[in-house]
Formats: sequence, C-alpha cells, structure tokens
Amino acid sequence: MIELPNERKIDIEPGLKRMILIELIFPVVLLVLGIYHGMMQVLYRSGMIHTRKVLGLEYYQGLTLHGVINAIVFTTFFAVAFGYAVIRFYLERPLNMKVAWLSFALMIVGTLLAAAAILSGTSSVLYTFYPPLRAHPAFYVGLTLVVVGSWIAFFNWMPAYSGWKREHRGEKVPLAVVGIFAAFVVWLIATIPVAIEIIFLLLPWSLGWVATVNVPLARMLFWFFGHPLVYFWLLPSYVMYYTMLPKLAGGKLFSDFAGRLTFMWLVLYSAPVGIHHQFTEPGISSTWKFVHAFFTMLVAVPSFATAFALAASMEHGARQNGGRGLLGWWKKLPYIDKERWLFGYFFCGLVIFIFGGVTGIINASYNLDVVVHNTSWLPAHFHQTVAGPIFLSYIAMSLFLVVKLTGKEIKFPGWNVWVPYIWTLGIMIFSTGLFIGGAGGEPRRTNMGLTYTNPESPLYHADWQAAKMLGSIGGTIMTLAALIFFVVFFATLFARSARAGALELIVSEPFHDENVRAVQSFTPWLAGAVLLLVIAYAPPIAQTLRSNFPGAPPYTPDSPLPISAAKP
Amino acid sequence: MDALRLERRLIIIAVAFVLTLFGLAALAVNMFHVGLPTCLTDIKPFQKGELITHSPTHYELHYVARMWEFDPEEVTVPVGSTIDIYVSTRDVTHGLILLGTDLNLMAVPGVVNYARVKFDKPGVHQLLCHEYCGTGHDRMAANLRVVDLATFQAKQSAPVQTQPSDPTYKLLEAKDCLTCHSIDGSEGIGPTLKGIYGRKTKLTNGSTVVADDVYLRESIVNPSAKITDGFDDLMPKPELTEQEVNAIVEYLENLK
Repeated sequence: MIELPNERKIDIEPGLKRMILIELIFPVVLLVLGIYHGMMQVLYRSGMIHTRKVLGLEYYQGLTLHGVINAIVFTTFFAVAFGYAVIRFYLERPLNMKVAWLSFALMIVGTLLAAAAILSGTSSVLYTFYPPLRAHPAFYVGLTLVVVGSWIAFFNWMPAYSGWKREHRGEKVPLAVVGIFAAFVVWLIATIPVAIEIIFLLLPWSLGWVATVNVPLARMLFWFFGHPLVYFWLLPSYVMYYTMLPKLAGGKLFSDFAGRLTFMWLVLYSAPVGIHHQFTEPGISSTWKFVHAFFTMLVAVPSFATAFALAASMEHGARQNGGRGLLGWWKKLPYIDKERWLFGYFFCGLVIFIFGGVTGIINASYNLDVVVHNTSWLPAHFHQTVAGPIFLSYIAMSLFLVVKLTGKEIKFPGWNVWVPYIWTLGIMIFSTGLFIGGAGGEPRRTNMGLTYTNPESPLYHADWQAAKMLGSIGGTIMTLAALIFFVVFFATLFARSARAGALELIVSEPFHDENVRAVQSFTPWLAGAVLLLVIAYAPPIAQTLRSNFPGAPPYTPDSPLPISAAKP
Repeated sequence: MDALRLERRLIIIAVAFVLTLFGLAALAVNMFHVGLPTCLTDIKPFQKGELITHSPTHYELHYVARMWEFDPEEVTVPVGSTIDIYVSTRDVTHGLILLGTDLNLMAVPGVVNYARVKFDKPGVHQLLCHEYCGTGHDRMAANLRVVDLATFQAKQSAPVQTQPSDPTYKLLEAKDCLTCHSIDGSEGIGPTLKGIYGRKTKLTNGSTVVADDVYLRESIVNPSAKITDGFDDLMPKPELTEQEVNAIVEYLENLK
C-alpha cells in the first residue's frame, strides 16, 4: 500500500502490539463460524433446507452462535483493540500491561466458556437470552467475563486520559480519543443493568439457587442494555468516519465540533430509550412507552449531524481532487482505489446506513411498531446498521491495523477493494426480501423451512416465497463478499512482513476547528444522562417491582415442562 | 456563512424533523386510536383459553400461549364484532401476530396482555408465534375465522364436536404427551402415535424395530433408550403409575 501523505507512525511496545493483534485476529477467526450460520439461515428460511439441523448444528443453536459471535464477541473485541490503538497513538502515554493482559484473559476465557456452552447444545437461547428459557450457567458467566474484561480495558485508559489533560491544559482532547471514551462511557451505562440482570436474576436462577425469575424485570433490564449497546458498536465506526474518511477522500473534516457534539449527544441520549424495543409488551404502561419513543427520536439527531458533516467533508475532498459542479464532485472520490481502499469500506457503510436510519425511525414511531414488531423487518433494519457501517468499518480497520502492525502488504488488493461493494449489493437485496416479508407478517428468528416455506406443511405460505428467495440471494452474495475478505485477511496474515511493523492511523485535519466549551468535557453530559435515565427508568422499573408478577421457573428450549419436572 | 451558525440551523431542522414524525405518531393515537398495550396489573394470568360472548357484537377472547400451541387453536367470530383479546402464557415468552391485522402482542410470563380488534371483512386470519419459544416455535400457529353472522349462528347451534372422551386420551392430554405427539397422523416434535403399533420404525442407530408392546413400554418408561430416526432425544421421563403405562400401551394398540 502506498503511503498517504503526512501519515504518522509510532513504534509501540511489543507486548501491546501482540495483544492488539490477537484481539483483532481472534474474533475474525470466530466470525468464519458466525457468518457460516448467517448463510445457513437464509437457506433454512427460504425453504431450501427442511430440517432442524445441518452438520450437527441445530438452527436455533446456530442462530445463538451467529448473534453472540457477530454482535457481541466480534464487536467487543474490536472496540477494545481499536481503543488501545487510538489511546496509545494519540495520547502517547504508556499503558499498564499487567492490567491489559488481565482484561485480555478475561475476555478470551469468557468467550471460550460461552462458546462451549452454545456448542454443547445446552444454551440455544439466542443472544438476547430471554428468561424463562434457561441457558447453561457457563453461558451467563462467559458473557459476564467478556463484559468485565472490556471494562478493565477502559479503566486502564483513564490514567492516560487524565495524565494527557494535565499536561495539555486548555487544549482539546484529540477527537478520536473523545469518540472512544464516549463509546466506553455508553458501554458502561449499558452494561451495568445487564450485569445486574445476569448476576442477581439469571445466574442464581440458572444454578437452581432460586426457583423463579421476574421476567418483566429481566426484560426491562435487558433492553436498558440492548439499545445503548448499538451506540457502543456505532461509536468506533463514527471515530473512523470523523477522523479518517475526510483524509481518505482527499480533504479535511468539515467540522470538528460536529464530531464532538455527536459523541456527547450519544452519551446523553443513547440509554433512556430501551422501552421502544418493548412497545407490544404487557407490564409497562403506555405512558412510559410514549416517553421512550420521544427520547428515541432525539437519538436520531446526531446521525443527521454526522450525515451532514461527512457529506460536507467528502465534498471538500472531492473538490480538492478537482471535482466541480453542484453534484458533479461526487465523481471525484476514490471509490475503487487500491491505495485508499478503506474509503470504499467506509463509503458503502454510510450508504447502507441511510436505509438503516430511515427504518430505525419507522421502528421507533410508537404505534407504527405494531406492524413490524418481531417480524423479519427487524433483522433487515438491524443488518443495515450493524452489518452495514459497523461491520464494514470494523473488518476494514481490523485488516488495516493488522497490515500496519505487522508491516505486511495486503494480498489480493484488487479483490479487497470490491469486498464492500459486493457486500452492499448483497445486503440491499437481502434486506429488501426481509422488509417485504416482514411487512407481510413473516416472523423473525424462526426455522421457516420446516413449516412456512415447506410446501408439504399445512402451514405453508406460498405468498412468502418470493421475498424469501430475495433474502437467500442477498445472503449468498453477502457470504461471497465475506469469503473474499477472509481470503484477503488470512492470506495477508500468513504473508511475509515487508517492513517493520508500527502503529499507524489515518489522521484528518479539521476544516472548521471551532472550540465550543460545552462539548469539551464529559461531566455535564454524563450528569444529564444519569438524570434522564432516572426519569425514564425509575417509574417503569418500580412498576415491575411493585406489581408482584408471579415468577417463572426455568425451561430448556426442548421441553414444555419446567426443568425441575423434566429429565434430570 | 459561519460554520457554527450553519450547524446550529441544521441541528434545529433535524430536531424539528424528528419531532414532527413523533407528533404524527401521537396524532395517530388520538385520531385513529392506534395505541399500544398498557400495563394491566389487576388480571391474574389465566390457564385456559376461551371465547366469551358478551353480546352478539362483543366478545372476549382469552388466548393461552404455551410451548408450542395456542389455546384455543380454532376460533370463529362474526364479522363486524368487537373482540377484546387477552393473552397469557403458561411457560416461556411467546409472541402473537395475527396476519392481515395490526394485532401484535407479546405474551410474557406473569403478565396479561390486551388489545381490542374489530373485523370488518370475513376471512381466515392466521395467528403465528413470533417470539422464539424453543424447538417447536416454527410450527406454533392457530386460526381465527371471521364469518358472516348467519354462518356464525348456524355453527353455534350445531352440536359441538366433542373431544374424544376416553380416559386414557385425557391422561395423555394431562401428561402433556399430545404437545409433541399427535394422534391424527400430523407431524410434530415427536413421531405421531397414529398407527404406531406394529409400525416398522427406523432408529437413529441405523437399526429397524417393529413397535410391539415391549418397545412401546420401553419408549414410555425410558424415552432415551431408542430414538426414532429424524427426531431428537427430547422426551422427559413421564411420571406414570404401572396401571397408567398399561392403559397407554393398550390405547396405542388400538389407535389405528
């Protein structure tokens, strides 16, 4: 890869380098399995497979793997690895390696425990693990260790952050560092309720220490976590978009302030919105559903700001490249460019995200949710966000960091530049099929090949077949893109180093470098976030506690009888 | 223009835009009464599904969701009537979507959910479970038929088709056997019991057995001993007395 101008590289400690590399490579290896079952799912659902399992992997077991690996393990590992890279690169302060390895070990052990629990077939509860379906205790312990490990990584960066601020009084903290800290502040806000759910409700219940669980409370704590979680995934992508994309486009970041405001806004608003996942549920009053719908709308605002700032930045870059006219400048961007290949990954993610954002507003629109709730519309939206900008930027940055840290050259660069475009084509076809099916009531998370897409079943839906075919064509194209990426990634990994590895990130300069005091400190935004959380969650949580709902005993997915009554 | 002023203006536009969308949703609640379920705390979760007639145009329908069926599985209501639907679950979390309508409700353990629907046109609506609820989730479905008033009244006055009243059938029902095994030959989580006696059965270990008394007894008392090919080892050991096992084996011998 030819160097972009003004690239700064720093030599980092070998231990830190090794850890970042493993944290990037390990989840990409697991992703092979996660994407394999993504492919299998479209085959099951379209009715090309009419069985419960293929090659020993049962449908719902594979679905649990697909969710846990792709959405929890891959994202958390990447966020931690990328966080280490950004913090070390911009703050240039040493990090405590003992603490770093502790965090690393907890995350690896946790992942292996959860993987063992899922592969043993005793934890096919999907990655939302709603009680009273019960997973093996190792599943809950494993996920908890992954989360605690990521917390420790964040705590490890804090001294570097405050040390840097002491030495640079009055200066703005680098934008990328603010973004990473925003991501992990949101992560901390999100994971505290789910840690409470797991440690106090699910784990003792799954071990048989308590007989029943308060399901409405557990669900509310889960979604208290479940929505800010997506901003934890999105924020590292936003860091790449704000700090790297403008330079790759050939210009500067239009507004430094837009980035800071976006990050702070997400700290403020990402969490008091979780009940919009529970609109059709009993046990929560419609008043509080309405309040959460209101906050959910406001959390869309920073994405509008981002769309504007990034489009303006790309326009600036394109005009530097000789672009002209009101719209003609769009032609002067490095869409297919072996040297600036990251641009294609970022750009495609943004294109997909336009659709993900629009459908997100539809889902959040209070009563409109009754049309789409729990239909395949939801995974279509979900893939256009998580498997769009987040997935593409994460795999791109994993490859970029591996190349830079090991000093290797990308293998098959001509193939690599096409990966995001093939992926985008696939995901647009895939989600079109799922949107159409979902609007017609096709349920999500269902092995439809056994019934609804099985002509031999009395439940067969001929009217769903066309949409399902679209879904499987799109899913196949997505898998093809992923396969090309895996070939590029692993071929690069096993190639010989061309030079000494160093930590290197792309750094865009700001075009407008305003210094607005209100976005320079986390404190007021965090205080606001806590206040909003108390307003949004204290009454509905009190409702679930006061209502004295009968508790639920544990069930395995295999039997309609509770575990105590079933086979030992 | 100064960048900050431009940005301030854009953020105001974005906020105004999303709040307009929110306002439209609120307007729909007021004008079209498209609301969301709210918290009902005064109804104890019920265990049995039924259709209660309040008046010829007003009905109350209690759905019980359980792994992996809805109770009642078949419901008929007259066109133009208002139905208050209450939903409860006997085991795990389920979801209800009534195709062709806006009925979309979660069934959460411990709580009763509620929605009101009105049918203006005759037709059959399929009710599907749309929340993963275990192995049999993919076949959890029921029907709600909307018929014209004359058909409805004719059906009501006709003798109700009775369930088999055999005490052993009731035992099979009480022990939850029929959740997985049908007696009418239809596909289920486990093999159908119809015509099982004397049937040549291929097992997962590759061998083939003829289902005789000994095999049936073993399969009831120790379900994991032999597994029919194409099925999984899921069945729990039932709690049955010796007499009950004898009665079931005898019942199966005659179930042609």
